[in-house]
Amino acid sequence: MTDATMTHAQTPDGSLPRRALSRRVLPYAMLSPAVIVTLAIVFLPMVQTAWMSLHDYVLFRPNDFDWVGLENFRRALGDEVFWISLGHTVIWMATTIPAQLLLGLATAMLLNQPFPWRPVARALIIIPWALPSVVIALMWVWIYDSNYGVANEFLLRLGLIRQAVPWLADPDTALAAIILTLTWQGFPFFAVMILAGLQSIPKSYYEAAAIDGASAWRQFWHITLPGISGVMMTAVLLRLIWVANSFDVIFVMTGGGPGYATYTLPLYAFVKARTNLDFGYGSAIAVLFTLLLMGVVVVYLRRAGKAVQ
Amino acid sequence: MKLARIGAASALALAAGLAQADSTVHFWYHFDNADNPMDALVEEFEAANPGITVEAENVPWNSYYDQLYTAIIGGNAPDAAMVKMFAQPRLVEMGALEPIDEQLAAWEGTDGLQDNLLELTKAADGSHYYLPVQYVVLYLYYRADMFEELGLEVPQTCEDFRAAAKALTRDTDGDGQTDVYGFGFRGAKGGHDHWASFTLARDGVSLTDGLSSEAGTAGTQFVADLFREDKVFPPSAPNDGFQEIIGAFKAGKTAMTIHHIGSANGMAEALGDKVSAAPVPECGGGRWTSFGDESTAVLSSASDKEAAWKWIAFLSSAGNNARFNEATGQLPVVKSDSESWSLHPQRFVEATVDSLPFAHLLPNSSATADFVNTVWPTAMQRVLTGDITAAEMNEEITALFDD
Repeated sequence: MTDATMTHAQTPDGSLPRRALSRRVLPYAMLSPAVIVTLAIVFLPMVQTAWMSLHDYVLFRPNDFDWVGLENFRRALGDEVFWISLGHTVIWMATTIPAQLLLGLATAMLLNQPFPWRPVARALIIIPWALPSVVIALMWVWIYDSNYGVANEFLLRLGLIRQAVPWLADPDTALAAIILTLTWQGFPFFAVMILAGLQSIPKSYYEAAAIDGASAWRQFWHITLPGISGVMMTAVLLRLIWVANSFDVIFVMTGGGPGYATYTLPLYAFVKARTNLDFGYGSAIAVLFTLLLMGVVVVYLRRAGKAVQ
Repeated sequence: MKLARIGAASALALAAGLAQADSTVHFWYHFDNADNPMDALVEEFEAANPGITVEAENVPWNSYYDQLYTAIIGGNAPDAAMVKMFAQPRLVEMGALEPIDEQLAAWEGTDGLQDNLLELTKAADGSHYYLPVQYVVLYLYYRADMFEELGLEVPQTCEDFRAAAKALTRDTDGDGQTDVYGFGFRGAKGGHDHWASFTLARDGVSLTDGLSSEAGTAGTQFVADLFREDKVFPPSAPNDGFQEIIGAFKAGKTAMTIHHIGSANGMAEALGDKVSAAPVPECGGGRWTSFGDESTAVLSSASDKEAAWKWIAFLSSAGNNARFNEATGQLPVVKSDSESWSLHPQRFVEATVDSLPFAHLLPNSSATADFVNTVWPTAMQRVLTGDITAAEMNEEITALFDD
């Protein structure tokens, strides 16, 4: 390969172009393993999904793979469950991420204060984030259990409720209960990222502000927030994508039920494809959701990017 | 160059290995029981059939069919697998199953199977693909002690059932909270059996015919009223699955539930003589209970179909079938194994046998899988939570089977 390229690029003065060529080729050569792997395991399935979404493809009729154009998309837009799921996805993202961010910010501020055993507290805070989602989901199913769960026991003893509440079986509380679970799972990520951001703010800024008589609130607003805004923006972006796509916790806790009360779009796509084996329609929902999410991410990057600058 | 030589050598070694091992049967099954006897059965089979290796894989039940269908399409299907009737139409449609009519005709074990089982497991096209391996029939579990305490009779009709369930729903310790609920209803996946006993029993109602009639709607409405009006199910009922209904019954949180003999020993262990069993009540002029089937099948992609058949026939042979069922807690399909069966207390075996005359399978239709997996659970939960009406639920199911 190298020999062939060399003969091809041969010039009267051989050495200079050869060095220039290798300099040009080297970055691509070094990048190619990562690019090839990404193409194979991310890009190819994506293209395949898009291709499937244009076909009527039900897995238990493997020989029928009929081109239907945009029919699956048209069906999705007229599907009541699609809109229910979309509504839940919006609620899901619009509450989980701010809740995680605020809780993470408060935790990071606390962990940034000197107090005894601080390293231990910093290590412990990671636990919810480090646990597998399935474990978290099962744990919270027990917490919410209407017969034996500690959540009901606790609230009953405090006198806040008079009857045990079936948190996950009641359509009015099921989604909120899962959002609380996911908030608990995800806030350590924000806490750790923001803590790292906080530690990079020079102490001298605060000292100077204190000398000028700035209150704690003004110090937070004018020094801390701008200092961690870059980190926060990245963390929110990552969480936005992860939370939007995550359905494992919902799947284990309620499977989308009761009824459609906790259906989100990724879950609906999964159920359609994996349980109903309707890969054509499932793919169409997945593609629609990807487009919607891309829109959100682009808007977010534009606005947040400006704000940070 | 060197690499090529190593490659060639490994290919040769692999080929030699294959030639020596003759054939391997990849077998998929699902067992809830932790002390799984499969290894002992495999060992015995391999000793009796030198040259055949069995690789048995326990696949979790919740995703068993998702995985099976995906494996078939992906070309990684097992050679033989445990299968239920509701999956048969789809598997046949996929061309994934191997007919076993010839093998059944030649096999000495065929006559030893319980009467009618092969008839029940026959496919719509008239061929046999399934070899029965175990069966159960669903019946009503009830707390004999609570019935006695309240002077109640075992319910014979839906009306009796409703009255009993109301009486059994009580606050036993006077703290204003209901401690015992009349019936543990399974509102999550798998609960269609409960609903069916109250709905499909009615005259002229089946999944494929008459479900949207007045009688059919009355059945679903009956279930909805039990939950929403009478409040005789635990409030968690819409999400409750197998674990929850059995757990709640064992813990004394519910006084009745519907399940099969597979949970009898666990219940007897937890509650002793306080638990008893009876056929499900008669509703709207008939009785309906679910026949829980389980068979094994050879897949059409099997590399050595003869070996795969030998293995599944081994599991349904006298003696082996009893040991298989001791682990699953279900009932053997071999007559001689049934006669010597002593694993379950008599009252549960009786309830099973008494329920046989009105035990039914779900329709032999491709829509059944969707009914079981998504349409029924979602629609039932929506009815229980007041999101849709009983008539809307029945219409949704009718539309599914009409398609």
